[in-house]
Amino acid sequence: MEYENPKIPEGINVTEEHPLKEFFFLALTISLGVVSVVVILSLLAGQLVQYIPFELEQKLATSSFEATSKQLKLKHATDQTIERYLQELADKLAIAQTLPEGMTISVHYVDDDVVNAFATLGGNIILHRGLIEKLDSENALAMLIAHEIAHIKQRAPIISLGRGVTLGLALASISGFGDSGFSQQLVGKLGILTSLSFSRSQEEAADLEALKTLKAYYGHTGGAQALFETFIEDSEGLEPPALLSTHPLSEKRIEQIKSYNGFEVVIVALKPLPVFLAGESVVGEIQ
Amino acid sequence: MENYIDIIIFATLMIIGYVFGSRNEKKHFKSIIEREEKYKGLLSFSVRFPPPSVERVDTVLVGGNVVISVDYFKRIVAGLRSIVGGRVSAYESLLERARREAILRMKEEASAKGAKMIVNVKLETASITKGQKQQVGSVEVYAYGTALIPVT
Repeated sequence: MEYENPKIPEGINVTEEHPLKEFFFLALTISLGVVSVVVILSLLAGQLVQYIPFELEQKLATSSFEATSKQLKLKHATDQTIERYLQELADKLAIAQTLPEGMTISVHYVDDDVVNAFATLGGNIILHRGLIEKLDSENALAMLIAHEIAHIKQRAPIISLGRGVTLGLALASISGFGDSGFSQQLVGKLGILTSLSFSRSQEEAADLEALKTLKAYYGHTGGAQALFETFIEDSEGLEPPALLSTHPLSEKRIEQIKSYNGFEVVIVALKPLPVFLAGESVVGEIQ
Repeated sequence: MENYIDIIIFATLMIIGYVFGSRNEKKHFKSIIEREEKYKGLLSFSVRFPPPSVERVDTVLVGGNVVISVDYFKRIVAGLRSIVGGRVSAYESLLERARREAILRMKEEASAKGAKMIVNVKLETASITKGQKQQVGSVEVYAYGTALIPVT
């Protein structure tokens, strides 16, 4: 018996496929998978929310809202004038927006410098002094409140909650299989990016609804754009790209306002803010 | 801004991993094929005993050891592969290189000792930095066998 080492042909353990091709194919397949999972779940969350009655949401909110208010250390102003005024304005706007029966809005005024406002579960709207101070007319303030009311009308807080929980679980279970940090990041980041687009479309819808409300309430939508001009000013022109934000770009939103039927370029009758709310910007300081 | 920095760092690492990784791989394969040709006269077998035709020989343990690092690009591709399944071709070529290189180093040692044949060749594979996430791992292959040195 003759012993020999025959020459083994090359390429048995090496695939001919170009590594870059494999990379892009895998990245694309997985991305498509993640995006479709997120899209399907997000749409489902939006669809299923109509089966959660608003009363149930309110019940949910009482417990979760208490936690939030603790977190925010909601400083209810000692003087109730501001909150009462905001609540009255919100009530009027809610009527103009024709909220479904049983849906109520409660406004909470937070006395701090944070430039923010948001709507949360159970029809609660939280407005920070920091943002209100920067607004120069009641019309802009009404745009802000109407936008938040629109979120509540569209059930955005509960949709986001449902979406957040489902997506979190789904993404964790997909990325849990990967053994490298990157695939987890890819899945996580793509999931977030996709869900951001839903968030942006919610915002757009709320803007549109708010404009409708303003038109119904004031007869025009002048002054609404001031709200977003404030945001641009506040971000010092450094807004992150739309793709990475929960909200559309302020410029886009201003465009939407200006193209809305009912916007008046020459602003005739902007209602001033009441004296107790008038921030420094109203005095005529130009930044 | 943070997002951009992440993307830039990632892209840079991928490009470095891909360019240097594939260049190294090509170079390595070329060198492996050349050296295999050089040592093709030195036979190696996994059988435990020398063929009957072998005359009186001295025996000595010879071994060759190699550690090759995964590059960033391969690591990412393999990570993606672990989601969908299938042949991890990124690692297949890496292990092939490691095995052949380990055998070559063993043969180099045997050749230096004047051996004409190696029997009872075995391979051990181990992964270094096993199980640590976010870490580029490396693979170790150790080849060893009994070199047969003819007694003159």
